[in-house]
Amino acid sequence: MSPSFTHLTGLLATAVGPHLYWIASRAAGSAALILSSVSVCVGLLMGGHVLKRRWPDLRVTHEALSLATLGAIAVHGLTLLGDGFLNLSLADISVPFVSGYKTLWTTAGIIAFWAMLALGLSYYARGRIGVQRWRLLHRFTALAWILGIVHSLGEGTDAGQAWFLAMTAIVVLPALGLLLVRWFGSARRSRPAGQANTVGGLSKLPG
Amino acid sequence: MALSDTPTSRPAPDPSARQRDARATAQSKRAALRRRTRRIRRTVAAVTASLFCALFLVVYVQLASGNDPALSATSKKASTAAVTTTSSSGESSEATSSGESQSSESSSASTESSSGESSSGESSSGESSSSPSAVTTKTS
Repeated sequence: MSPSFTHLTGLLATAVGPHLYWIASRAAGSAALILSSVSVCVGLLMGGHVLKRRWPDLRVTHEALSLATLGAIAVHGLTLLGDGFLNLSLADISVPFVSGYKTLWTTAGIIAFWAMLALGLSYYARGRIGVQRWRLLHRFTALAWILGIVHSLGEGTDAGQAWFLAMTAIVVLPALGLLLVRWFGSARRSRPAGQANTVGGLSKLPG
Repeated sequence: MALSDTPTSRPAPDPSARQRDARATAQSKRAALRRRTRRIRRTVAAVTASLFCALFLVVYVQLASGNDPALSATSKKASTAAVTTTSSSGESSEATSSGESQSSESSSASTESSSGESSSGESSSGESSSSPSAVTTKTS
Protein backbone atom coordinates (compact mmCIF):
# COMPACT_ATOMS: atom_id res chain seq x y z
CA MET A 1 0.00 0.00 0.00
CA SER A 2 1.29 3.44 -0.87
CA PRO A 3 1.90 5.89 1.98
CA SER A 4 -0.54 8.41 0.48
CA PHE A 5 -3.34 5.83 0.42
CA THR A 6 -2.59 4.81 4.00
CA HIS A 7 -2.52 8.45 5.00
CA LEU A 8 -5.83 9.11 3.25
CA THR A 9 -7.48 6.06 4.81
CA GLY A 10 -6.19 7.00 8.22
CA LEU A 11 -7.44 10.55 7.77
CA LEU A 12 -10.88 9.30 6.73
CA ALA A 13 -11.12 6.86 9.62
CA THR A 14 -10.04 9.50 12.08
CA ALA A 15 -12.44 12.06 10.70
CA VAL A 16 -15.45 9.77 10.32
CA GLY A 17 -14.80 7.57 13.36
CA PRO A 18 -16.49 9.57 16.11
CA HIS A 19 -19.17 10.89 13.76
CA LEU A 20 -19.96 7.72 11.87
CA TYR A 21 -23.46 7.25 13.31
CA TRP A 22 -24.25 10.92 13.11
CA ILE A 23 -23.26 11.24 9.44
CA ALA A 24 -24.99 7.96 8.61
CA SER A 25 -28.19 9.15 10.25
CA ARG A 26 -28.20 12.43 8.35
CA ALA A 27 -27.47 10.69 5.07
CA ALA A 28 -30.18 8.09 5.68
CA GLY A 29 -32.71 10.77 6.58
CA SER A 30 -32.01 12.70 3.39
CA ALA A 31 -32.14 9.49 1.37
CA ALA A 32 -35.50 8.64 2.95
CA LEU A 33 -36.83 12.06 1.98
CA ILE A 34 -35.81 11.58 -1.65
CA LEU A 35 -37.03 7.99 -1.86
CA SER A 36 -40.38 8.73 -0.25
CA SER A 37 -40.97 11.69 -2.54
CA VAL A 38 -40.16 9.66 -5.64
CA SER A 39 -42.35 6.86 -4.32
CA VAL A 40 -45.27 9.25 -3.82
CA CYS A 41 -44.69 10.56 -7.36
CA VAL A 42 -44.78 7.06 -8.82
CA GLY A 43 -47.83 6.13 -6.75
CA LEU A 44 -49.72 9.19 -7.92
CA LEU A 45 -48.73 8.54 -11.54
CA MET A 46 -49.88 4.96 -11.16
CA GLY A 47 -53.32 5.64 -9.77
CA GLY A 48 -54.09 8.97 -11.39
CA HIS A 49 -55.18 9.98 -14.85
CA VAL A 50 -51.90 11.63 -15.76
CA LEU A 51 -50.57 8.74 -17.80
CA LYS A 52 -52.48 7.62 -20.86
CA ARG A 53 -51.95 3.94 -20.23
CA ARG A 54 -51.16 1.86 -17.17
CA TRP A 55 -47.54 0.88 -16.76
CA PRO A 56 -47.21 -2.49 -15.07
CA ASP A 57 -43.71 -1.69 -13.85
CA LEU A 58 -44.88 1.34 -11.90
CA ARG A 59 -46.50 -0.82 -9.22
CA VAL A 60 -43.28 -2.78 -8.67
CA THR A 61 -41.24 0.43 -8.66
CA HIS A 62 -43.64 2.03 -6.18
CA GLU A 63 -43.45 -0.99 -3.90
CA ALA A 64 -39.65 -1.20 -4.07
CA LEU A 65 -39.26 2.53 -3.43
CA SER A 66 -41.64 2.36 -0.47
CA LEU A 67 -39.73 -0.51 1.10
CA ALA A 68 -36.45 1.31 0.47
CA THR A 69 -37.93 4.39 2.16
CA LEU A 70 -38.93 2.38 5.23
CA GLY A 71 -35.44 0.87 5.34
CA ALA A 72 -33.81 4.28 5.07
CA ILE A 73 -36.01 5.68 7.86
CA ALA A 74 -35.15 2.68 10.04
CA VAL A 75 -31.43 3.32 9.44
CA HIS A 76 -31.99 7.04 10.11
CA GLY A 77 -33.50 6.31 13.53
CA LEU A 78 -31.42 3.34 14.59
CA THR A 79 -28.07 4.96 13.81
CA LEU A 80 -28.99 7.77 16.18
CA LEU A 81 -28.95 5.18 18.97
CA GLY A 82 -25.24 4.68 18.32
CA ASP A 83 -24.43 8.35 18.62
CA GLY A 84 -22.60 8.81 21.88
CA PHE A 85 -23.34 12.51 22.24
CA LEU A 86 -27.08 12.63 21.78
CA ASN A 87 -27.47 9.53 23.98
CA LEU A 88 -30.93 8.73 22.70
CA SER A 89 -32.85 5.71 23.92
CA LEU A 90 -35.10 3.47 21.85
CA ALA A 91 -38.11 5.22 23.39
CA ASP A 92 -36.73 8.61 22.35
CA ILE A 93 -36.71 7.64 18.69
CA SER A 94 -39.85 5.53 18.62
CA VAL A 95 -42.38 7.00 21.06
CA PRO A 96 -43.89 10.43 20.37
CA PHE A 97 -43.30 13.23 22.89
CA VAL A 98 -40.64 11.27 24.82
CA SER A 99 -37.49 12.83 23.39
CA GLY A 100 -36.44 16.09 24.98
CA TYR A 101 -34.63 17.20 21.83
CA LYS A 102 -36.88 19.36 19.61
CA THR A 103 -39.85 17.40 20.88
CA LEU A 104 -42.45 18.59 18.36
CA TRP A 105 -40.33 18.07 15.26
CA THR A 106 -39.09 14.72 16.54
CA THR A 107 -42.65 13.66 17.27
CA ALA A 108 -43.66 14.66 13.74
CA GLY A 109 -40.96 12.39 12.37
CA ILE A 110 -41.90 9.50 14.66
CA ILE A 111 -45.60 9.73 13.78
CA ALA A 112 -44.74 9.98 10.09
CA PHE A 113 -42.64 6.82 10.33
CA TRP A 114 -45.27 4.77 12.16
CA ALA A 115 -47.97 5.96 9.79
CA MET A 116 -45.84 5.13 6.75
CA LEU A 117 -44.99 1.73 8.19
CA ALA A 118 -48.58 0.84 9.00
CA LEU A 119 -50.06 2.23 5.78
CA GLY A 120 -47.27 0.88 3.62
CA LEU A 121 -47.26 -2.64 5.01
CA SER A 122 -51.06 -2.77 4.97
CA TYR A 123 -50.63 -3.42 1.23
CA TYR A 124 -49.73 -7.00 2.09
CA ALA A 125 -52.90 -7.39 4.14
CA ARG A 126 -55.28 -5.76 1.68
CA GLY A 127 -57.01 -9.08 1.14
CA ARG A 128 -58.09 -9.08 4.75
CA ILE A 129 -58.72 -5.35 4.95
CA GLY A 130 -60.67 -5.22 1.73
CA VAL A 131 -59.36 -3.50 -1.38
CA GLN A 132 -61.73 -0.51 -1.23
CA ARG A 133 -61.00 0.11 2.44
CA TRP A 134 -57.29 -0.31 1.85
CA ARG A 135 -57.37 2.23 -1.01
CA LEU A 136 -59.12 4.69 1.27
CA LEU A 137 -56.50 4.09 3.96
CA HIS A 138 -53.63 4.33 1.50
CA ARG A 139 -54.56 7.95 0.71
CA PHE A 140 -53.36 8.91 4.19
CA THR A 141 -49.82 7.93 3.19
CA ALA A 142 -49.58 11.34 1.52
CA LEU A 143 -50.24 12.99 4.89
CA ALA A 144 -47.50 10.88 6.50
CA TRP A 145 -45.15 11.94 3.71
CA ILE A 146 -46.00 15.62 4.25
CA LEU A 147 -45.39 15.14 7.98
CA GLY A 148 -41.99 13.67 7.11
CA ILE A 149 -41.14 16.73 5.03
CA VAL A 150 -42.20 18.98 7.90
CA HIS A 151 -39.92 16.96 10.21
CA SER A 152 -36.95 17.23 7.84
CA LEU A 153 -37.37 20.96 7.26
CA GLY A 154 -38.03 21.72 10.90
CA GLU A 155 -35.43 19.54 12.55
CA GLY A 156 -32.96 18.61 9.82
CA THR A 157 -29.44 19.84 10.45
CA ASP A 158 -29.02 20.49 6.73
CA ALA A 159 -32.40 22.16 6.32
CA GLY A 160 -30.84 25.59 5.87
CA GLN A 161 -28.31 24.41 3.31
CA ALA A 162 -28.75 25.37 -0.33
CA TRP A 163 -28.00 21.87 -1.63
CA PHE A 164 -30.55 20.33 0.73
CA LEU A 165 -33.27 22.84 -0.16
CA ALA A 166 -32.57 22.41 -3.89
CA MET A 167 -32.63 18.64 -3.56
CA THR A 168 -35.86 18.77 -1.55
CA ALA A 169 -37.48 21.11 -4.07
CA ILE A 170 -36.51 18.87 -6.99
CA VAL A 171 -38.12 15.78 -5.48
CA VAL A 172 -40.92 17.27 -3.40
CA LEU A 173 -42.44 19.85 -5.75
CA PRO A 174 -43.34 17.40 -8.56
CA ALA A 175 -44.94 15.07 -6.02
CA LEU A 176 -46.84 17.96 -4.45
CA GLY A 177 -48.00 19.05 -7.91
CA LEU A 178 -49.25 15.55 -8.68
CA LEU A 179 -50.97 15.41 -5.30
CA LEU A 180 -52.76 18.69 -6.01
CA VAL A 181 -53.75 17.44 -9.47
CA ARG A 182 -55.15 14.31 -7.85
CA TRP A 183 -57.06 16.22 -5.15
CA PHE A 184 -58.50 18.84 -7.48
CA GLY A 185 -59.09 16.28 -10.20
CA SER A 186 -61.10 14.04 -7.92
CA ALA A 187 -62.96 17.04 -6.52
CA ARG A 188 -63.86 18.15 -10.07
CA ARG A 189 -64.96 14.66 -11.01
CA SER A 190 -67.19 14.37 -7.97
CA ARG A 191 -68.67 17.88 -8.33
CA PRO A 192 -71.02 17.34 -11.31
CA ALA A 193 -72.79 14.55 -9.46
CA GLY A 194 -73.08 16.73 -6.38
CA GLN A 195 -74.38 19.67 -8.42
CA ALA A 196 -76.89 17.45 -10.16
CA ASN A 197 -78.12 16.27 -6.79
CA THR A 198 -78.40 19.80 -5.55
CA VAL A 199 -80.26 20.94 -8.61
CA GLY A 200 -82.48 17.94 -8.37
CA GLY A 201 -83.06 18.64 -4.72
CA LEU A 202 -83.87 22.30 -5.40
CA SER A 203 -86.22 21.43 -8.19
CA LYS A 204 -88.13 19.29 -5.79
CA LEU A 205 -88.56 22.12 -3.33
CA PRO A 206 -92.05 23.53 -3.23
CA GLY A 207 -92.61 26.89 -4.88
CA MET B 1 -71.39 -30.15 -47.04
CA ALA B 2 -72.79 -26.77 -46.21
CA LEU B 3 -72.67 -27.63 -42.57
CA SER B 4 -69.00 -28.56 -42.68
CA ASP B 5 -68.13 -25.01 -43.85
CA THR B 6 -69.49 -23.40 -40.74
CA PRO B 7 -67.00 -22.74 -37.95
CA THR B 8 -68.98 -24.78 -35.47
CA SER B 9 -68.66 -27.90 -37.48
CA ARG B 10 -64.90 -27.63 -37.84
CA PRO B 11 -62.98 -30.26 -35.88
CA ALA B 12 -61.89 -28.78 -32.59
CA PRO B 13 -58.12 -28.59 -32.02
CA ASP B 14 -56.62 -30.93 -29.55
CA PRO B 15 -57.50 -29.43 -26.13
CA SER B 16 -54.35 -30.72 -24.53
CA ALA B 17 -52.18 -29.03 -27.19
CA ARG B 18 -54.09 -25.79 -26.78
CA GLN B 19 -53.73 -25.99 -23.03
CA ARG B 20 -50.03 -26.69 -23.37
CA ASP B 21 -49.62 -23.66 -25.61
CA ALA B 22 -51.54 -21.47 -23.22
CA ARG B 23 -49.55 -22.76 -20.27
CA ALA B 24 -46.26 -22.16 -22.06
CA THR B 25 -47.32 -18.63 -22.96
CA ALA B 26 -48.46 -17.92 -19.42
CA GLN B 27 -45.26 -19.38 -18.02
CA SER B 28 -43.05 -17.29 -20.28
CA LYS B 29 -45.07 -14.18 -19.45
CA ARG B 30 -44.82 -14.93 -15.75
CA ALA B 31 -41.08 -15.53 -16.05
CA ALA B 32 -40.65 -12.25 -17.93
CA LEU B 33 -42.66 -10.42 -15.26
CA ARG B 34 -40.57 -12.01 -12.50
CA ARG B 35 -37.36 -11.06 -14.30
CA ARG B 36 -38.58 -7.49 -14.72
CA THR B 37 -39.65 -7.29 -11.09
CA ARG B 38 -36.28 -8.58 -9.92
CA ARG B 39 -34.49 -6.10 -12.19
CA ILE B 40 -36.53 -3.19 -10.85
CA ARG B 41 -35.95 -4.23 -7.23
CA ARG B 42 -32.23 -4.56 -7.82
CA THR B 43 -32.12 -1.17 -9.53
CA VAL B 44 -33.99 0.48 -6.65
CA ALA B 45 -31.69 -1.20 -4.11
CA ALA B 46 -28.62 -0.05 -6.04
CA VAL B 47 -29.98 3.48 -6.40
CA THR B 48 -30.77 3.59 -2.66
CA ALA B 49 -27.27 2.42 -1.72
CA SER B 50 -25.65 4.90 -4.12
CA LEU B 51 -27.86 7.70 -2.84
CA PHE B 52 -26.93 6.90 0.74
CA CYS B 53 -23.21 6.82 -0.13
CA ALA B 54 -23.43 10.09 -2.05
CA LEU B 55 -25.26 11.84 0.78
CA PHE B 56 -22.83 10.38 3.32
CA LEU B 57 -20.01 11.83 1.28
CA VAL B 58 -21.71 15.23 1.01
CA VAL B 59 -22.23 15.42 4.77
CA TYR B 60 -18.70 14.17 5.43
CA VAL B 61 -17.13 16.71 3.07
CA GLN B 62 -19.20 19.43 4.71
CA LEU B 63 -17.98 18.31 8.10
CA ALA B 64 -14.36 17.91 7.07
CA SER B 65 -14.21 21.26 5.28
CA GLY B 66 -15.59 23.06 8.31
CA ASN B 67 -18.83 24.09 6.62
CA ASP B 68 -21.09 21.89 8.67
CA PRO B 69 -24.30 23.78 9.52
CA ALA B 70 -24.36 22.52 13.09
CA LEU B 71 -20.73 23.39 13.75
CA SER B 72 -20.90 26.81 12.13
CA ALA B 73 -24.13 27.67 13.95
CA THR B 74 -22.58 26.73 17.25
CA SER B 75 -19.35 28.56 16.61
CA LYS B 76 -21.37 31.65 15.70
CA LYS B 77 -23.42 31.23 18.85
CA ALA B 78 -20.33 30.61 20.93
CA SER B 79 -18.46 33.60 19.53
CA THR B 80 -21.50 35.81 20.01
CA ALA B 81 -21.80 34.66 23.59
CA ALA B 82 -18.09 35.20 24.08
CA VAL B 83 -18.23 38.70 22.69
CA THR B 84 -21.24 39.53 24.83
CA THR B 85 -19.61 38.24 27.98
CA THR B 86 -16.22 39.77 27.36
CA SER B 87 -17.63 43.13 26.32
CA SER B 88 -19.59 43.25 29.53
CA SER B 89 -16.48 42.43 31.53
CA GLY B 90 -14.21 44.61 29.40
CA GLU B 91 -11.89 41.84 28.09
CA SER B 92 -12.37 42.31 24.36
CA SER B 93 -8.77 41.51 23.44
CA GLU B 94 -9.01 37.80 24.34
CA ALA B 95 -12.59 37.21 23.28
CA THR B 96 -11.77 34.84 20.45
CA SER B 97 -9.77 32.28 22.38
CA SER B 98 -11.42 28.89 22.71
CA GLY B 99 -11.22 28.77 26.46
CA GLU B 100 -12.96 32.09 26.71
CA SER B 101 -15.77 31.16 24.40
CA GLN B 102 -16.26 27.86 26.13
CA SER B 103 -16.47 29.34 29.57
CA SER B 104 -18.71 32.14 28.41
CA GLU B 105 -20.97 29.69 26.68
CA SER B 106 -21.21 27.56 29.75
CA SER B 107 -22.26 30.58 31.69
CA SER B 108 -24.79 31.71 29.10
CA ALA B 109 -26.32 28.30 28.52
CA SER B 110 -26.75 26.75 31.90
CA THR B 111 -29.21 24.07 30.81
CA GLU B 112 -26.78 22.30 28.49
CA SER B 113 -24.97 19.16 29.45
CA SER B 114 -21.30 19.24 30.29
CA SER B 115 -20.34 16.90 27.44
CA GLY B 116 -22.10 19.11 24.94
CA GLU B 117 -20.37 22.15 26.27
CA SER B 118 -16.93 20.68 26.00
CA SER B 119 -17.46 19.55 22.45
CA SER B 120 -18.94 22.86 21.40
CA GLY B 121 -16.03 24.58 22.98
CA GLU B 122 -13.78 22.56 20.74
CA SER B 123 -15.87 23.41 17.72
CA SER B 124 -15.63 27.08 18.46
CA SER B 125 -11.88 26.76 18.51
CA GLY B 126 -11.96 25.07 15.11
CA GLU B 127 -10.86 21.57 16.09
CA SER B 128 -12.18 18.77 13.93
CA SER B 129 -12.60 16.33 16.81
CA SER B 130 -15.71 18.05 18.10
CA SER B 131 -19.01 16.24 17.84
CA PRO B 132 -21.58 17.58 15.43
CA SER B 133 -24.31 15.74 17.27
CA ALA B 134 -23.51 17.40 20.51
CA VAL B 135 -23.42 20.66 18.67
CA THR B 136 -26.81 19.98 17.18
CA THR B 137 -28.34 19.48 20.56
CA LYS B 138 -27.04 22.85 21.43
CA THR B 139 -28.41 24.63 18.39
CA SER B 140 -31.96 23.79 19.36
